[in-house]
Amino acid sequence: MKAEFINPFVGAAYDVIKKVANIEASKGELAIVTSPIRGDEVNVVIGVTGDLTGQIIICLSEATALVFASKMLMNLVTDSLNELAKSAIGEMGNMILGNAVTALSERGYFCNLTPPALLIGKDIVVSTQILKFLVIPLETKEGRITINVALQENFG
Amino acid sequence: MFRIKVDQLTPGMVLAQDVLIPRTGVTLLPSSTTLTMEMIRRIGHFNIDEVYIAPMEKSDKEKNEEILAPVMAETHEKSVAVVEQLITNYDTNDQSGYSQAVLDGLVGDLLEQVKMDADLLLNLTHMKSYDNYLFSHAVNVSIISILIGEQLGYSKEELNLLGVAALLHDIGMLKISVETWKKNGTLTPTEHQEVRKHPEYGAQFLAANMPEDIRAVAAEHHERYDGSGYPKGLKGSEINYKARIVALADVYDACISERLYRERLTPQEAIRLIVADQKGFDPQLLKIFLLTMAVYPIGSFVQLNTGEVGRVIRVSKNQPFRPVLSLYYDRKGELLRQPVRLDLSAEVNHLLYIKETLSANEHKKVSQEVAKAFPNHL
Repeated sequence: MKAEFINPFVGAAYDVIKKVANIEASKGELAIVTSPIRGDEVNVVIGVTGDLTGQIIICLSEATALVFASKMLMNLVTDSLNELAKSAIGEMGNMILGNAVTALSERGYFCNLTPPALLIGKDIVVSTQILKFLVIPLETKEGRITINVALQENFG
Repeated sequence: MFRIKVDQLTPGMVLAQDVLIPRTGVTLLPSSTTLTMEMIRRIGHFNIDEVYIAPMEKSDKEKNEEILAPVMAETHEKSVAVVEQLITNYDTNDQSGYSQAVLDGLVGDLLEQVKMDADLLLNLTHMKSYDNYLFSHAVNVSIISILIGEQLGYSKEELNLLGVAALLHDIGMLKISVETWKKNGTLTPTEHQEVRKHPEYGAQFLAANMPEDIRAVAAEHHERYDGSGYPKGLKGSEINYKARIVALADVYDACISERLYRERLTPQEAIRLIVADQKGFDPQLLKIFLLTMAVYPIGSFVQLNTGEVGRVIRVSKNQPFRPVLSLYYDRKGELLRQPVRLDLSAEVNHLLYIKETLSANEHKKVSQEVAKAFPNHL
């Protein structure tokens, strides 16, 4: 995993968190974790294809997810992960990844994304073909958002 | 086929010729490829200056829309005329003047159209402004109510009842002087009080031989879930369920309609306003309303994260953030030669997202420009 993949994701997440909830995020300690990774209560899985391939898994607690879902929905009271809340969280993941992929394209990596899939539940474990995950924890006053990045260069 | 600068390409355009990597002769993308943003960036990376684009070909679906649209527009106009006839000739003393058959026929037509292509119908009702707000409003509220009813799994009979109730929800307005409800300007306190009586008048009109739901919708469509409405200040489940549906449809259509005394809100502003006032609405119904009408409803002008500007022409089922757009402007803000249809719910378009909706002023300016540039485009 290249270090140059880190900043596009961190920057994209900062921007989206700021835009959606008008709050700041700060980066916690980065770690490299070997697959499988342990998820949180709400996990948004988005695939990357193109010059880079792999998976991004954005993990957050249900409480944090509900706060951001509500913000995405114009402050609609959101107290359960209903269809509307799930689509809002999926879209937020999409926005982060859309920005990250744009930043990567400025570094010469051209990629596309797969639609987000939501995994919801306790003790979720995700295994991927790519063995190393870069774990980027972001702290906000609404809770932690962890972005797990498993990408490899594709020399097709 | 036409030549186009690479920075004017938008996702959804189709290549008319192979794109070759300069000085190698290697094909980067073959002819007939529908471009994604990833591909456009890749083309730009190779310092390719221009490519050949095919004229947008209409899919069978789009050809169908072109046939359907004028038929729907005509039916809609007819419905408005029938409602006008029916309501203005409504004899409050003689209940036999109310024609169940005509109403049922009318709602039957609307039901059929909603089933055929609800998005197209909403698109059409949106783009028009009527002199006769009261009657076009009745038809539009009926359409939106039926759409919500469908999501609730209503039977045909229930949908029919809901549709009729929605058509007649403002019938009490008839008792209020024409000068007041057509007034160009702010109402005086007295006039305002008078207008606030229309639900009671409506209920009186409809009391005798109407199904309870129809009477209740006329009486209670201005009641609010938190008790802040009028005339009775009913709360929550005290309010008739169909009246709670019609309340949402009523506010939405009122907001996006042009009135003499105020500018219309954009569809997205109308959604925002309803959500801002969410305590006034049944929370379950509000969720269904948002899934049905979407966060970016039909008619909204939106800008993508990559800069292009387009209008929402279809809502994707259960994907309120990912509608189908008709793009009109490229990422530099230049008007496209032809509109480009782009489905944000399609798998290949997921690195795009809606960044924002245009403000009311921009919305107005852009919709005029688009109407001028593409007069026959839906």
